[in-house]
Order: sequence, then structure tokens, then C-alpha cells
Amino acid sequence: MTIRPDLAEKIAGRVRYATDLEVPGMLWGALVPAPVAHGRLRTVDLGPARARPGVVAISATELAALVGGRQGDRDRPAFPRERVEYLHQPVAAVAAPSLAEARAAAKAVRVEVEPLPVVSDVDAVFPDWPGSSAAQHPSVAAHVHARRGDVEEAFRTAETVVRETYRTASVHQVALEPHACLAEVEGERWRVRTSTQSPFGVREDVASILGIPEESIVVEGTWVGGGFGGKGASFVEPWALLLARAAGRPVRLALTYRQEFLLGRTTLPAVVRMETAVSAGAIRARRVRLLLDVGTSLPGRDFATGYSIGFLLGPYRTPTFEVEGYAVRTNKPPFGPHRAPFAPQCAFVVESHLEEVARRVGIEPAAFKAAHLWETGGTTPFGQPITDFGLAAAHAAARELADDWRRAAPPGHGVGLGMGFWSTSTGAGGEARVTVSADGIRILQGEREIGSGSVLVGLAAVAERRTGLSRHRIRVEYGDTASAPYDAGVFGSRTVGALGRAVDDALVQILGTLAQRAGAPTPVRLAEGERGVELEGRGQRWPIADLLTDEERAQGGLTAHGKHYGRGGKIDESLVVDGTFYAYTDFTGAAHVAEVAVDAQTGSVRVVRYAAFQDVGTVVDPPTARAQVEGGIVMGLGTALTEEAIWSAEGRLLNAGLVDYRLPTISEAPPIEVTFVEGHPGAGPFGAKGLGEPPIIPVPAAIASAVRAAVGAHVTELPLNPERIARALKREEP
Amino acid sequence: MADLDLVTPATSDEAVAALRTLPPEETAILAGGTDLLFDLEEGRLSARHLLSLRRLPWRTLDWNGPTLTIGSTLPLRTLELDPEVRTRLPGLLEGVRAVGSVALRHRATLGGNLGRSAPASDLVPVLLALDAEVELLGPTGTRTLSVDRFVQGSRRTARGPSELIRAVRIPEARPSAYVLQRVRPFHDISHMAIAVSFSPSDRRWRVAVAGFPPRPILLPEAATFLGGEHPDAPAVLRAAQEITERAPIVADRRASEEYRRQLVRPLLERAVRAATGGGG
Repeated sequence: MTIRPDLAEKIAGRVRYATDLEVPGMLWGALVPAPVAHGRLRTVDLGPARARPGVVAISATELAALVGGRQGDRDRPAFPRERVEYLHQPVAAVAAPSLAEARAAAKAVRVEVEPLPVVSDVDAVFPDWPGSSAAQHPSVAAHVHARRGDVEEAFRTAETVVRETYRTASVHQVALEPHACLAEVEGERWRVRTSTQSPFGVREDVASILGIPEESIVVEGTWVGGGFGGKGASFVEPWALLLARAAGRPVRLALTYRQEFLLGRTTLPAVVRMETAVSAGAIRARRVRLLLDVGTSLPGRDFATGYSIGFLLGPYRTPTFEVEGYAVRTNKPPFGPHRAPFAPQCAFVVESHLEEVARRVGIEPAAFKAAHLWETGGTTPFGQPITDFGLAAAHAAARELADDWRRAAPPGHGVGLGMGFWSTSTGAGGEARVTVSADGIRILQGEREIGSGSVLVGLAAVAERRTGLSRHRIRVEYGDTASAPYDAGVFGSRTVGALGRAVDDALVQILGTLAQRAGAPTPVRLAEGERGVELEGRGQRWPIADLLTDEERAQGGLTAHGKHYGRGGKIDESLVVDGTFYAYTDFTGAAHVAEVAVDAQTGSVRVVRYAAFQDVGTVVDPPTARAQVEGGIVMGLGTALTEEAIWSAEGRLLNAGLVDYRLPTISEAPPIEVTFVEGHPGAGPFGAKGLGEPPIIPVPAAIASAVRAAVGAHVTELPLNPERIARALKREEP
Repeated sequence: MADLDLVTPATSDEAVAALRTLPPEETAILAGGTDLLFDLEEGRLSARHLLSLRRLPWRTLDWNGPTLTIGSTLPLRTLELDPEVRTRLPGLLEGVRAVGSVALRHRATLGGNLGRSAPASDLVPVLLALDAEVELLGPTGTRTLSVDRFVQGSRRTARGPSELIRAVRIPEARPSAYVLQRVRPFHDISHMAIAVSFSPSDRRWRVAVAGFPPRPILLPEAATFLGGEHPDAPAVLRAAQEITERAPIVADRRASEEYRRQLVRPLLERAVRAATGGGG
């Protein structure tokens, strides 16, 4: 069993997070919130704040002067000029010698906003499915539409048509550590140390928002106390840098826990209409319509809607289909990624719906799904060839286990099955600089460990597997954006998949060079010997020290620069009527089994036990892989059962804290069995597939299926809280 | 949270004297702080002075025959671990265990819970069903009020500006139970709850419902339907119907009125079963 190299430091409390950083002369930052969710900005009077000792205050009018007259992205200025679009949107920022003074100064800023009507949710915009001219509606940020075959004819002639409407809730990432950074500006050098899943992404965002060139900006990642997608893009950094520039001193800016909820960019609510036409036990056609709340996401920059549609069709053969989705702008913060963005919600909808379809046509749901499941060598409904896919194998194993559990389940218990699929985002590229010396392997790259182990354990495991050298001789180091090679970020389940391939690429180069110098027969590996690390080939050994040039020895070893920029597949673009749809890089997925006990009188659910069958390609590090699956499942239980951000008609978040935003606790975590389905290689090194996101995807679907099996409640809304289950039970009373 | 001036009296006299000198509208009383500090931090409550009861010798638990007197600053965890509470006042034990987590209960106190009088308090309904009394200490001495008189509404009590909750008295050990419904089974706020007790002296039941605004309430009429010590199923059903139809149950963002009324019958059945030894 491998011990995580960061564990001892973290347990001892020696790890310094961004909120622990303190430098001499540092000021504390605070944000000034908009008082209404939508309105015309009349006044931002910084005077009363500036009248306080040591306070620096900035708003939209100072922006140009602070960046030397440059112009950033007009669509997303650091502070709004004319209009506020969500409650608590920062309209100004202040810095002061202490946190208390900063907060008091923020309160002192006088903000006047002339309120405008608030668009609170998608129902307020489109109470019914929108008509054909809706793509031009001012609240529509994006419209996607695709179809294949004669959909109307298929629905007209089908034996059975099932129509349902589903609703899903807004969920937060809730990382333990808030967004925080420390900014320092000297001359034309803008430097920020920040808790981020993507230092290079932050650099790009800051450059775009402030209009300053990327080469003037240095971003250094700090330890990250949880990201879950919430730290994938810039957030507090532009404000902190502007404050540091204005003050001429370093500024630390951190969100409060309440602000994490109020300002967080995350999954927002959705309404999905599902229609399926079946004849002779086979799916003839499907129609999927999605209204996705994207908050104040920028028009034309919505990614979620087109990407989600594929997950709403599910991993099922569908000869004829029509899919249409609207990204609907509302007065909420912008939509942002939350571990497998919107995919658990999509899986819940499609899995629950097809279970309903199967029941209506009298076929056992798992058999109905198995009969339609994608398999390697087939094509997706969008015409993309399906490469090695282990979901059918995972599903077969899950069905067998579910049958065992069902036979043993007492009354009031139910066993459910849910599936989900995903793709490793290796299209986002990465690079690493790897050095081999007599001491071992040193990997220099740009990411900080975010807690999953994908950087410190995952990359080392790749190097171990490629070279055979044991883990204690392998060091993973990080650098800031000025010293480390480029990498897209720790998101999209891509760290081992893409950055790991870059590490592997560098090692293959190095092993090749060393083998050539030694005249060693390939394949070669590395091993520990009397003179440090040695090259080994067919039982022969050459000390690395003897294979290096003087220059390499002086530079600490033989270095190679590895790269990986993956390519996705292609979809049949002739099916697209409007908008952008996306292809997958590889195909990964999971089938999950849940056993629940449901209290039929109150609607309360207890998850009794849980099992996951994960298509993972190749397991690179078993303990870390298992931990990712367990963590994903527990997080998914929140989405399934308890988590729901509630917004009022005025655009106010009513449960901005952990009292009424209910995360699952360890008390509700069930025993979890994890089985890895290997042998269906993906886009990562040695055929590994991403594992950060996939484990959360099937959870709400599996739980909903189990609840239905237990008490017959067909719940079409997330989360499945006790009241919704009780209501569904009442509806189904004879 | 603004800067606070912390006052920590060591005796009852000092505490009452300190309270008289502090401006009431700017003073908060700290008796554990698990609820108060949260409101101060979030700005729902503003105070400049904090009167901490931490040093007062009020962390007491005294049985006197059938009567239990609990000092207002006794940590709930101590109450929870008392073997006699477990056997003699099982409803109180369940109420205490419903509050927060073990860690919070090491801090939280009965006096603090009563003084803060949250609409969804898990302890107020139990104290109502147990006919508990509150002993208030003020400049002119002590006075005693029933919990029903003391709790006036959401975050409103009959405590005078210069009074402190000194103790809570439960007149007798009783078969009792507390049953609740929440979204999450632990570490959550109850959105519907029922407390019951059966008094061995007047041989009557008490029923309190809770979990919705403005405050937990006693339902004496419904309790009469339960009759004697071992109510049969029809009696429990009649009492449940009475509550479902007549109790002033309302909706808030945690649960609808309809769902809360739907919960009355199963919760009452479970509470009576638990109190009469049938298990939860």
C-alpha cells in the first residue's frame, strides 16, 4: 500500500493554504456586494471607505488606470459599469490593514442600484416549452438542436410512447477551503499565489479580464483544500491583483464561507422533458428537451447545454432522435463546473426515464437497458465510433450482484441499478519536464495536488509503471507558470490521462536515449543499484551516473520535455441543426448498485450498502483509485438525497450555508464495494481512463432506482428528499 | 462579526450585577454559543457585549426524589451521559441527542437552547411535554415560569432584560419519548417532531409538536384522546387526527404544511409506542 506523500504534512497541520499566507505589509481584501439581483448601477461611492485609515477602494471607474489604460474583455469586466446581474455581485473591492477594517470599509461603500425585474428561474422565462422563435429570446444564452431520421413518423407509428418531465436542483461544490489568493504587483510583474485547479487557466483568465499580457502574469498554485470543479477558472485573483496594484502593497483576498455559496459558480437547476417511442421492445425514437439555467453565463460561451445533451440520450442505441436545449440566462451567478458538470443529473433523468419506459412495456429494466447499451465498435447516436468501452461488462457484473442483493433484501428495502458514462478530457493538453539522475526521477509540472492524489500519486505511479523504479525514488515537483511547463489544469478527469501521458512521453524519450548510449537491448527499465539508479536491460545494468554527459551531470540529470495533446473523435455534423455539440475523447462509465431502506410513512431513505463497477481502462494506483470512487459516491449521495440550493423569486439564495444546504455526513456513508473493470483501454497512459468524475455520475440514478424498488415511489425531481418521496408515494396510492 | 467586549462573571451576584450595567439591546448572553455565535458571525444579530456564563457554578444536575434540576450551563453532553436520565427521562435523552453533533453537545447547554428559543428547537418540545419549569435569576431574586409561559415565540422569551436562566426543573421522572423527521437523519434541523410523556401522578398524557414556526406547542386536547397509560391503536389514531386537523401547523421553506400534517400520525404512533416501552 502506498502512502500519500502529502499525508503526513496535512495531518500535522504543516501545509500552508492560501488563507495561511502572510507577507510583510500585506493588506486584507473584501468585496462590496450588489444589493439586488438585477438593476441599473446608479452610484458606487467609495468616499466613505477611503475616508477610513489605510483603506484602498476600487470600482469600475478605476479599472483602466490600474491596468495602464488597457482594455480587458468587455463582456466580463472585473466590476460591472452599468448593470448588476446577480445578488451580491461584487461592484467594488477594498483593502485595509486588518480583516475587520476591510469588512467595515466594504460596508461603508455607498451603492445605489435602480432595481430591474428579476428573472429568477427557467420557469419564469419559459413556463411551457418555448416556440420556434425562442432562440432569439433575450434570456437565451445558447440554443442547441440536432436530429436524426423521421422523428415525427417514429412517434406516430410507435406501439408505446412515454412522456415525462424531470427537474434537477442546483448543487454547490462545497470545498472545505474557500477561494483565496495573495496578490503582489511590482511594476509590470503581476504575481498571484492562489488556490486553484489550473494555474495556467488563471493566468489566461486574468490576462483576458484585465487586458494585460500573459507574460506579465505569474500564477503559483498553493495547496488546494478541495476543488470539485469550483477552482477550475479564475475567481478572486483579478480583484486581488487590482487591489494590490492600487495599494502598492500585497493583498490577500479570501471569500467567506457564506460568499462561497452566494457567489459560487456551479450547477444550476434544469427542466428536462423526455419522450421515448418503443415498438416490439426496442427504442424507435427519442426526443430530449432541456431548459438549463445558466445564471449570468455569457451568451455564446455556454458549454454545458450542448455537452449535456449527449448524456441525456445516455449510452443507448437510439436510431432516430431529436434533441434540443436552451441555455437560459437568469439573475444568478454564472453556471460553473461541479464534478462531472450536470452529468449526474442527466444520468438520473435518462436512467429513471428508461426504467419507466421498460416498466410500461413490461420488460425488466436492466434487461431493456442491456439490450440497448452501447458496445465497442458501435456508434453513438451522433455518429461517433465507440472505442473500447467497458460499460456493458460493468453492467453485466452489476446486474448479477443486484440479483444477489435483491434475494437477500428484507421488506422495505430496495435494490437499484444506475449507469453513467463519461470521457477523459485529454483534449486539454499538458506538458511535463522529467529528469533522470542517479538519485531517481524528478517530475516538474505546473499543478498542485488538490486532494484527489492525481498529481502526487498519479504521476508518480505512471513513472513507476513505465520505468520499474520504486516510488520512493520518484519526486513530483511543481513550479509556477513562469518555471513549469504548460498544463491545462486538474479537471475533466484528465490529470493522469493527459498530464500522465506527458510524463510518460518524457520517460520514453529518456529511456530511449539512455538505452542508446548504453547500447542496451530494449526494453529497458530503471532499478536501484549500488551506485544509485541504474539502467537495466535483459539482466545487464549500467549506472545512470556513467551514462550522463558532464553537462547533464551539472544540470542534475538527463531531462526530457514530454507533451500530450489528445484528440477527440468526430460527430456527424450533418445532424446538427443549431449550436455546438461535442465529441468524446474516449468512453468510460460505471454501473452502480444501491440497496436502500425507505420509510414509507415519512419518505426517509437510508442507504444500506453500495457497489460500484467502474470501467477504468487500467488502474494506475489501486488505493487512490478506490478512494476516488468512494469519495465520488458519497458526494453523489448528496446530489441524490439532500443537496439543493434554493433561490427565491428575488434571486436570493435562501440556504447559503451548511445548516440548510445539507451535505452527506459520515453517518450516512454506506459500506461501499468497488470493482474495477479493466481491459477496455482509454486515452490515458497504459490505457488508463479518467476517474475523478465518473464515480459520481450514476449515484442519483442508482438511488432513485432503489427507492422505486423499495416502495414504488417514482420520483422525477432531484434531490429525492423525504418530502418528495412521500409525495410520490401519495400520488401512487391506489 | 464586530469586536466584542467579553464579560465573564464568576458568581451569580456578579453575573446579575454585570447584566444590570450593560445596555440590554447591545448585550448577548453566551451559554455555549453553538447557536449565538453563528448568528453573530452571519450578522443576524448584533451585540457589543457578551456576558459569558462559563465561569458560573451552574453546571449541575440534581435528582431530588422524582424531580430533576438541571443547571442552565450544564453541557448537553453531560446530561446525555447521565445514566439516570437515560432510564428515568428517555424523552429528554432523545431530545438532547437530536441537538447538533457530539462535539457541539460538549459546548451547547440547556439554558442556551431555551434562551435562544429557536422555532425548531429539539429541546423545547420535550420540556413542554415534561411540564418543565424555568428558574430565572434577577436583581430582586428568583422567579419560576413554566416553559410554556417562558417560550413566547420565534426567538422570543419571557426573560427580563436583567434576568438569567439559572436552572430548568423537571417535576417528575416519566415515560416519555421524542420522535423527529428531518431531511438528513443527523446534524440537521427537525422539520416535524413530536414529544410525549405520561405523568404517573395525574395519569395524563402530554403531547407537544414542533419543527415549524413560530414555536413548539402543547396540545392538551389531543392528549386527552390518548386516555390512560397504555393507549390502544384507535386512541392514538384519534389523537393523531385531532392534531392533523386542528394543530396550527404551517409551511416554511423546510417543509410544506401538507407533508407536516401527513407526518403527524406516524410520528405520534412511534412516540407513544416508544414511551410505552414498545420501542421506536
